[in-house]
Amino acid sequence: MNDLRERIAAIVERDRKRLDGERGADGLAAQTETLSTRRGPPGLAAGSPARGGPRSAPLTVPSRPFEVHERRIALDELGLEIVGRGACDPLLIAHLGLKGEPPRLWTDVLFLDTETTGLSGGTGTYIFLIGVAHVAEEELVLRQHLLLDLAAERDFVTELKRAIEPFRACASYNGKAFDIPIIRTRFVMAIRSELTVDESHLDLLHPARRLWRDRFGSTTLRQLEESVLDDGRTADIPGWLIPDAYFHYLRKRDPAVIAPVLAHNARDVLSLVRITDRVARAVDAARSGQAPDHAPAAFLLARGFDRTGERDAAFACYESAYFDGDNPLRVRLALAFSRHLEQRGESDRALRMLETLLDLGLGTTRWREQAAARVRRLTRKKWRSALRTAS
Amino acid sequence: MRTAVRFPARVSLEQILDRLGRDAEFKQLVTRWERLPPRRASYAELPAWLDGRIGATLRRRGILSLYSHQAEALEAAHAGKHTVVVTPTASGKTLCYDLPVIDAIAKDPSARALYIFPTKALAQDQLAELERLAADVDIELKTYTYDGDTPPAVRAAIRSAGHVVITNPDMLHTGILPHHTKWVKLFENLRYVVLDELHTYRGVFGSNVANVLRRLRRVCAFYGSHPVFICTSATIANPEELARRHVEDDVVVIDRNGAPRGEKVLVFVNPPVVNRSLGVRKSALFTGRDIAATLLASGVQTITFTRSRVATELLLTYLRARFPQPQWPPDLVRGYRSGYLPSERRAIERGLRDGSVRGVVSTNALELGIDIGALQAAVLIGYPGTVASTWQQMGRAGRREDLSVAFLVATSLPVDQYIVQHPDYVLQRSPEAGLVNPDNLHLLVQHLKCGAFEIPFERKERFGTEDTPGVLSYLDEQGILHEADGRYHWSAQSFPAEGMSLRTATSDNVVVVDQTDGRQRVIGEVDRFGAPLILHEQAIYLHESRQLQVERLDWENAKAYVREVKVDYYTQAGESVRIRVLDEFARQSSEHFGRAHGEVLVSAIATIYKKLTMYTHENIGWGKIHIPEQELQTTSFWLSLPERATAGWPKERVEIALAGLGNLLHGLAPLLLMCAPHDLGLAVEVRSPHTELPTIYLFDMTPGGVGFSERLFRSTDALLERAREHLDSCGCGTGCPSCVGPAHALGHDVREAVADLLSPR
Repeated sequence: MNDLRERIAAIVERDRKRLDGERGADGLAAQTETLSTRRGPPGLAAGSPARGGPRSAPLTVPSRPFEVHERRIALDELGLEIVGRGACDPLLIAHLGLKGEPPRLWTDVLFLDTETTGLSGGTGTYIFLIGVAHVAEEELVLRQHLLLDLAAERDFVTELKRAIEPFRACASYNGKAFDIPIIRTRFVMAIRSELTVDESHLDLLHPARRLWRDRFGSTTLRQLEESVLDDGRTADIPGWLIPDAYFHYLRKRDPAVIAPVLAHNARDVLSLVRITDRVARAVDAARSGQAPDHAPAAFLLARGFDRTGERDAAFACYESAYFDGDNPLRVRLALAFSRHLEQRGESDRALRMLETLLDLGLGTTRWREQAAARVRRLTRKKWRSALRTAS
Repeated sequence: MRTAVRFPARVSLEQILDRLGRDAEFKQLVTRWERLPPRRASYAELPAWLDGRIGATLRRRGILSLYSHQAEALEAAHAGKHTVVVTPTASGKTLCYDLPVIDAIAKDPSARALYIFPTKALAQDQLAELERLAADVDIELKTYTYDGDTPPAVRAAIRSAGHVVITNPDMLHTGILPHHTKWVKLFENLRYVVLDELHTYRGVFGSNVANVLRRLRRVCAFYGSHPVFICTSATIANPEELARRHVEDDVVVIDRNGAPRGEKVLVFVNPPVVNRSLGVRKSALFTGRDIAATLLASGVQTITFTRSRVATELLLTYLRARFPQPQWPPDLVRGYRSGYLPSERRAIERGLRDGSVRGVVSTNALELGIDIGALQAAVLIGYPGTVASTWQQMGRAGRREDLSVAFLVATSLPVDQYIVQHPDYVLQRSPEAGLVNPDNLHLLVQHLKCGAFEIPFERKERFGTEDTPGVLSYLDEQGILHEADGRYHWSAQSFPAEGMSLRTATSDNVVVVDQTDGRQRVIGEVDRFGAPLILHEQAIYLHESRQLQVERLDWENAKAYVREVKVDYYTQAGESVRIRVLDEFARQSSEHFGRAHGEVLVSAIATIYKKLTMYTHENIGWGKIHIPEQELQTTSFWLSLPERATAGWPKERVEIALAGLGNLLHGLAPLLLMCAPHDLGLAVEVRSPHTELPTIYLFDMTPGGVGFSERLFRSTDALLERAREHLDSCGCGTGCPSCVGPAHALGHDVREAVADLLSPR
């Protein structure tokens, strides 16, 4: 038996070296160390649990296999102007990364964010914490479901199903690619059931990218909190440490380890709600003629309005983007913008714009051909109307 | 528009063979001219339970009855028994599994089947065939291949709607099993699992695949399905054992072939000796080219198999030079190997079927069941390494009625020389066994981790025969698994199947980086244990007939940087190998030799290297090698000489005899093991600390072993018998690389000394 253990040990050790080599885990370990000494929960680094050492028995066996933390926050306190106020405007919702049917009421939408034991997906990645929030009576109700014991996953997921089922739609940040597939997997693994809530889904990652990526470089929630909400995080556990923190918690039952994760998750959900509101506000403002003052964002918003057929809003955004943008951006939007100008009877302006860009020698060959063709057509049209006037 | 191929002299195959048989020069090279008589078909009725639409379709296609083995396979599968069908190429194996599957789906549209093929190309081919059949039967049957090439957009549709999913073991391992919740429909309704070309699942690959199948069965059990396995295999000595290792249940073997065969001529050719002492013969490539050219010139549709991609290209060039344009059509001969575009390969396959391509030069890529119709002649350049492959390649020529011919042209390698001198080895019942060792702890632990990722392990659950609970609790202590309420959950961030290849035992490889012309390009991999001998600094590394010199070996990061050179020498490294026997599993003494097998620790340290001139092997320099000692824990077979065998011999003679016998056995052992020579390591000790006698070790190069040593232990007599036969018939005088090793390097009496050991007077 001892011999077997030694051999397994050798095999496991070799395998770990390989994986560590791939992930550069030495760096990771070092960072874990600093983090724990500076601001992390005590004992986290020591227990970065993949690092060997005999397992100590759980300090306390939790009395319940999972727990729910609830918080209620007034919408005003969160500074929400559109989210949660009245009914959903279907045209507005279309700009919030909607897939599927638009929900009719804000109270139909469940905001969610999950914390998992890994980022790779697959059947061995568990959800141990899910934060969900919905609007009820001028308040945002945030509930965090925390799984304290992997053996109780079935009950946890059953409870989760109950929590999710009443809602018609969910909203997330990158949920289409990450949270939803994992929730779906857990439903099958734990209770062999299908997920019902994702028929309509708002994934805010995409509109957030359109509005802010060019301006701030990245559109992680953390970045947006700092740049858009002006409310950056000070002490926060980095995402990549969360799975290890949870594994550590499973072994040591030290609530101090899990507290920062709960805080992180709550923060993520609240930020998701607030960012949703900011995106909605930007869309609303553009609709009333106030395009974003950042040209690339205005341009991408304009294209969104083109898709939903909101011409005035699209025009306002194109115009703003054209004035504030640099030449490459102008080239990108000129053809679409000129179509709007033409429809509004401003063909001369369209003609002048295209001729200017062509004279400057901008654009790819293909674009120049298209622009030149448009110029020819607009010129013919101009002559014809001049002739008509003359005769 | 293409003009019909016109041949100057269209002669029948019978006439060509007649002429070759009379050719005095050619006759000297022939070691065996075997004529296999035609065999009649044995038929059986279509089973009564077969869905009426299928029967009607088969009859429409002119199939009024089945071959007997097909009917047997259908009955067994229908009765829910795991089945392995062992019949030659072109005996209609595909129907053995397609019919039960289509029948099941015709009767219950929710039924599903999973086809596992060893290669992607084979999967594509089978997909087309199954779709044709299903379309004719007029049932709704959706088949899809799911592999690395499947576009993400259609993957979701395949998961829910595919009746038959065709994949390979690697994709099952990394793509399907770890995401089984996306395949609920498939796993809930899985009725059949088809494992085609079972004999390819042997050695390390096979041992890994057997573990992937364990994981597959766990997932099926989770969803409540218990699929029937239908396997097919080429002829090997132990199809039932191999299938049992993979299926881990009783298996029905069906090996009475009911398909007809036309008359067939097999010719074994040994190219003439050029240099007797070095054992060098005329290149098999040239001899093979001449045979193929003769056949092609007479209009015989011919397939030529080579052992490497380089040889394929060389032979193609040679043959094309023989058939210049415009006298000959431009694509008379085509090449076929991996690395060609799929569309190009499909075109060649079509050309072979419709006869517009008259000749093809291929690697073993065309050996497995890709449909190219039946050709008239096959030329094998070099023994393909196993009897099973030999029959499969030879079987590429052979129609149901007409005469066909296959030539095997031997190279100077020991195994080739043995085969060509002893054709009965191929012609009689196959002695080679497909070996796997799914319980190799190294592999088992990896798959156990993958299994835990897929579905948590129950505390009492067994995975393989090793002590599963022990492994589980160890992994729990290490924090890789987490035990909660009697179940072990995966508790690490990583994805265990990722970066774990089924084709190699360890990911511990040294990569060879070519930095000729300033770019860095990875051109090869060498396993870490063998690397010090081949990739030490200053070594000349041969790759696709280019000479590359190792400029720098970065041992820590497992990279060897090489650059192309043109020199007239090669390098040879010496190493000192120590073997420590950790555990002796079994021992047996006989009159001449003591034999045993067990677990060993091999420590090897590369010491010095020599620079030797090409052709004359003169020593023109040497250097030291500074690489730390390597260790390999594995299983080994060992053979020791009793004292009386060498009584009165001077010590040098014992050393020489031992080295020579080691070389001979190492060269011939692959005959019994279906492995390549480099899968086995060789070490000799004049006085082994364990046996206290002169001892030869043949050890498994895979850490933990895949079963070679036990097989060698059980078949020692057969191995020694082959060694005796081979030594008697080798054409060299004193010893050559084809038998005991070169006399100039070992000692002038090496052959005689080995002969004395093998057949004591």
